[in-house]
Amino acid sequence: MSDVPLGVIDATIRAATPIGLAAIGELLAERAGILNIGIEGGMCLAAFAAVVAGAGSPVAGLMAGVLAGILTASVFALFVIRLRAQQVIVGTAVSMMALGLSTVLNRVLYAGLSAAPQVHTLPPMRVPVLSALPGVGQLLAQPLPTYVLYAAGASVAWFLYRTIGGLSLRATGEDPSAVRAAGKDPALFQWAALVVSGALTGLAGATLVVAQAGTFTENMSAGRGYIAIAVVALGRWTPAGVLVGSLLFGAASSLQYIVQAYGVAIPYNLTLAAPYAVTLFVLAALRGSHRAPARLGRTIDLPG
Amino acid sequence: MIVAAACSGTQQAATNEFRVALVTPGPVSDRSWNGSAYEGLEFIRDSLGAKISHVQAKTPADFEENFRQYGAAGYSIVIGHGFEFQDAAKRVAPAYPRTVYLITGGRVTGENLASVSFAFEEPSYLAGMAAAAASRTGMVACVGGTQLPTVKSSFRAFAAGASAIRPQVSVITAYLGNWDDASAGREQALALARRGVDVIFQDADAAGLGVFQAAREQRALRIIGSNANQNDVAPRATLGSVVIDVPRALLLLATQVKDGSFTPRLYRFTTKEEVVRWVPNPALMNELPAADREQIASTASLMRQGRFTLPPTP
Repeated sequence: MSDVPLGVIDATIRAATPIGLAAIGELLAERAGILNIGIEGGMCLAAFAAVVAGAGSPVAGLMAGVLAGILTASVFALFVIRLRAQQVIVGTAVSMMALGLSTVLNRVLYAGLSAAPQVHTLPPMRVPVLSALPGVGQLLAQPLPTYVLYAAGASVAWFLYRTIGGLSLRATGEDPSAVRAAGKDPALFQWAALVVSGALTGLAGATLVVAQAGTFTENMSAGRGYIAIAVVALGRWTPAGVLVGSLLFGAASSLQYIVQAYGVAIPYNLTLAAPYAVTLFVLAALRGSHRAPARLGRTIDLPG
Repeated sequence: MIVAAACSGTQQAATNEFRVALVTPGPVSDRSWNGSAYEGLEFIRDSLGAKISHVQAKTPADFEENFRQYGAAGYSIVIGHGFEFQDAAKRVAPAYPRTVYLITGGRVTGENLASVSFAFEEPSYLAGMAAAAASRTGMVACVGGTQLPTVKSSFRAFAAGASAIRPQVSVITAYLGNWDDASAGREQALALARRGVDVIFQDADAAGLGVFQAAREQRALRIIGSNANQNDVAPRATLGSVVIDVPRALLLLATQVKDGSFTPRLYRFTTKEEVVRWVPNPALMNELPAADREQIASTASLMRQGRFTLPPTP
């Protein structure tokens, strides 16, 4: 069948979307020196918010997801920026709290077992003219969040490398005292980075519901938040690298579905491990070619 | 729902209250395997006046810890809902002799340890027959969470049933690697549909809800649900469900424990006891040729009389 490669690409794009959205957000935070490992939980809570609001419309679901993501990230920001707590510890706590909250709310709101709620999903948006092309045209009909991902990647690249604000944000992750010397508040850049990061994480979680599964299941983020963090390192802390990394991860995970659908005689556990094996391999191959932000994961020293 | 503080000793709290605890491997909101057990627990509460408790265990280490806590708290029955609880129950049960440990889908037995197994293969066989009869492409598939022995044998029976109706049918099997990721369930179903599969038997609990979602998008796709009656999850696409009446089985056993007639052994529930059954969706049965429907019906009635033996698996 000639459309098998297209099917693989299509599945790759779908799998890459939630991971890429969360990873672009995490990239912004990490460039500002903040390692937010709480995005896994934020994603799941956003997915839950999306299913609640998604009863109205899929777009409402997306917006609710974004809000939930921002809220979760703000709690994290409050602790790590304002209260200067350890980032990894707060991230873990926030993640677990958000995961637990989504589970509890699901059982309270939907009486547990009788109704795993179902919502309408976003229709694919066709790119005018191009989507009429034979073959590849069918790839240009994706749900909204997919386009948002690539637009966000481009915007973040423009912001980081072409604006003064982006320069200050990067400086925050490298040497906050320099930012302060320039008369700016590094904490402000970290707050901004985390809020935008939360919005993208929320969009990622909502995507799982209103663009993919059409329902919420407990723990449905299934590790994608952690994968997004790995993808940031895989993409060497650059927006283009992160997009490529998400697609690479998406390709490796879509392979699992295709291989099984074609009944290839490989134990399924091996194909399931493929995305992680690819990530490790690429990380090892790229070692030393780019370094992480110097102050990543460290609390900013108090002035004076 | 929280259990009394765990203690390392084997001292059991003495109580005359009839209390029943359930430990599930996944969320009870899955409308499937775990949901049906919780329903059974509520059934026991309402019918026998039991005090109930439920906890979801995440890792095998949790299985044992939860079993110990309930044992120490003096629960009358602790249900480990799934094959994966066997080892933990075997280790923990001897320490809490006043508690009956019950493993659904298991095989282990002991002084105060019993297992319940379901002849899930029987309705799976019927589902396979229906799938092959409904398929226009001659390709059907099974999608599972992880490769548990109970899942594997049910898929084997499904394949046997499918080839009993259409000897040349091809049956593809895929596993998602987990039971929660509904997005992965949808992706796997879409990949199968692209291959040409038009009927999918799902046994992936919460992740399986994504398989139903794929059928909402791919109009030609038909789904067969499992564990609970899932015919209303996607009524226009669901051919039927392979149902285990877990509530009925659990109530039956809890009643025996309460009145003292319980013996620790392996309980096997089949179509004959009406604990497992194939529940077709009447709205879609006209998609099956009449001759096939008759063959399915006569096989089902043999099963109900206990006169059907599954073909041996290679």
